Amino acid sequence: MSFQPTAIVGIGQTHHTPRRRDVSFPGLIREAAVRALDDAQMTWSDIDAVVLGKAPDLFEGVMKPELYMSDALGATGKPMFRVHTAGSVGGTTGIVASHHVQAGVHTRVMAVAFEKQSEGNAQFALGSGRGASLGAGGAFAPFIRSYINRSGAPEHIGWQVAVKDRQNALKNEYAHLKIADISIEKVRESPMMWEPIRYLESCPSSDGACAVIFTDEDGGNAAASDGRQPAWVLGTAVRSEPGSFPGRDAVRPQGAIDCAWDLYGQVGITNPREQIDMAELYVPFSWFEPIWLEGHDIAEVGEGWKMVDSGETEIGGAFPVNCSGGVLSSNPIGASGLLRFAEAALQVRGMAGEHQVDGANVALGQAYGANMQYFAMWIVANSLDPFG
Amino acid sequence: MPRLVEHRIQFPYKRSLGPVFGAFMTALVERKILGIRNGNKVLAPPLEWDPQTGEELAPDFVEVGPAGTVTNWTWVPEPTEQHPLDRSFAFACIQLDGAHNSMIHAVDAGTMDAMSAGMRVAPRWRAERIGKINDIECFVPGEDPEIPEGDTGEAPEEPVTMMEYFASITYRNPVSENAERAGAAGKEKRLLGQQCPVCARIYAGGRGYCPIDAVELTPEHDVDLPQRGVVSNYTIVTPVQYPGQTETEAFARVMIRLDGVDVVLGYQGLIDVPVAEIHPGIRVAAMWASEAEREDDGGRSMISGLVGWIPTGEPDDTSPDLLNKVL
Repeated sequence: MSFQPTAIVGIGQTHHTPRRRDVSFPGLIREAAVRALDDAQMTWSDIDAVVLGKAPDLFEGVMKPELYMSDALGATGKPMFRVHTAGSVGGTTGIVASHHVQAGVHTRVMAVAFEKQSEGNAQFALGSGRGASLGAGGAFAPFIRSYINRSGAPEHIGWQVAVKDRQNALKNEYAHLKIADISIEKVRESPMMWEPIRYLESCPSSDGACAVIFTDEDGGNAAASDGRQPAWVLGTAVRSEPGSFPGRDAVRPQGAIDCAWDLYGQVGITNPREQIDMAELYVPFSWFEPIWLEGHDIAEVGEGWKMVDSGETEIGGAFPVNCSGGVLSSNPIGASGLLRFAEAALQVRGMAGEHQVDGANVALGQAYGANMQYFAMWIVANSLDPFG
Repeated sequence: MPRLVEHRIQFPYKRSLGPVFGAFMTALVERKILGIRNGNKVLAPPLEWDPQTGEELAPDFVEVGPAGTVTNWTWVPEPTEQHPLDRSFAFACIQLDGAHNSMIHAVDAGTMDAMSAGMRVAPRWRAERIGKINDIECFVPGEDPEIPEGDTGEAPEEPVTMMEYFASITYRNPVSENAERAGAAGKEKRLLGQQCPVCARIYAGGRGYCPIDAVELTPEHDVDLPQRGVVSNYTIVTPVQYPGQTETEAFARVMIRLDGVDVVLGYQGLIDVPVAEIHPGIRVAAMWASEAEREDDGGRSMISGLVGWIPTGEPDDTSPDLLNKVL
């Protein structure tokens, strides 16, 4: 097997907001795509294929929207590929697009992911259109209660993650939720939505899109010699497992562990906490930060919350997590995973602006979906051989 | 032949139209049909981008039609309630005068024999126009649009920017044999499970397969499950109101670990327990619907006929691992 080295040379996203009533949803996606083209110094005709991801079609009530958006994405006459893996879809979309280049099938591929939540209702759609829908928060609350009980984490950990991510969002011009006076007290006093998850420990509903442009080794090197740092995709992994079965570990799913170690093996990582400089993890409810730090063996089992408590996951900490503000600050569901992956790439390109981590050479992007059963991860770096 | 059961999903959506479709819909209220200039050609209905190159089109709108020429068509002999007309009609590609492409709309031609490629058609305008494509009720043969009497074609007070859309779809799903057996067991107030012959895991309801070993589970794998258990975990949901949400007050969903088997039933309802009193350890028993209360959901729920779980009054189970049982 030989894989072509794959570089990210263009990233674009929309400003994420509760509702974008001024644009059609192809128009919304265009904004992200055009920004990615500008970043890559490419035009529509430079792109060989488009990979599009979004969450369930019930969200906007348009079945198979990719079929009518080829003109919006300059994809007329080109291969157009739809990906759907629930909440992890944005991540999987980036991975599928990268594989088209990695496999040598195409030279320049655009991944696009989006959601326009204002057109429908995610709670309705996630409940398959039935009444008494729990929503994602209701589904995950027992998992979180179990994590808290198993790890013995104090309750302020959830509040602390919520404050950290919202403070990071203040540094991200594209973030949706910007709460300037966010504080532990404010989170603690916000209404209980899905016991034990409070309102301010939950993600918002956003309209938004993200686009990422991949190219081959020559394209990556050309960008680098032009002074435009590419992000090199060093490894990608996806895993899934059944959503429920007797004996399943809901807090530390085997699929998550296998996904991480497949990825670490590809990249040559034996100590993720030391060798990875920052991570964008899929944290739609605050407690998922410690859950994934443990689930991907960045922290020892039962110790993830201590990384939060010590400030290690803050931008200035030893292992910064969700410097963009994360899903807690912007949640256009279909795009949320790709936004994580794109932020990891922005970081190693040194293009993350005010939320840039100093010395971010190797970064992890992660997304999960459905009943904590679909996993997508990648590691990007500012060189093909970051560990020398 | 399996039994078929109907399920319907309905929900209102709000569609934002953007500057190009918005202008098109706004013009329909005024009884005008807009195209957009694309080089030396006109696209009607207008598109936001050049379909060939993907380049943005300047909002250079051109009024087209109202009459046009049918370029192709198909006949709909038996319309359903979702079709635009309640009688036989044609769906046709119509190239409006002044446009270089065609749009699809309905033609009310009476009989299929009246349809032909090259025929001329004009719009029949609806009296109450709101800025939707069916402001044109359909097209009719001839050169002259049909306009309701006294219709002045006034512009709307505000430009049309949004489209409300009520989605309704009805599925006819076959009920699996396993779901039928689970439902029949429920009628006898029995909780049916199935045990995988490979891993010995037990699944509740008529799942029909073991997701770990990928083997089919059939009647020989049926087992009766205990109808008592313990609340192992829970959440209390403050419901978000949307059309179709049936809950208005905070409600609980609990995990029930069945006695003697490693089966946890997720997101169950508790009966006669105020949400504030819910905690892990409550001993509960299954409560079944009476024959009169029972709704046939066609096997849609895993345990059909189970109303919920009611406290047995026994002392709490205080096992420390209870809280960690979620699945």
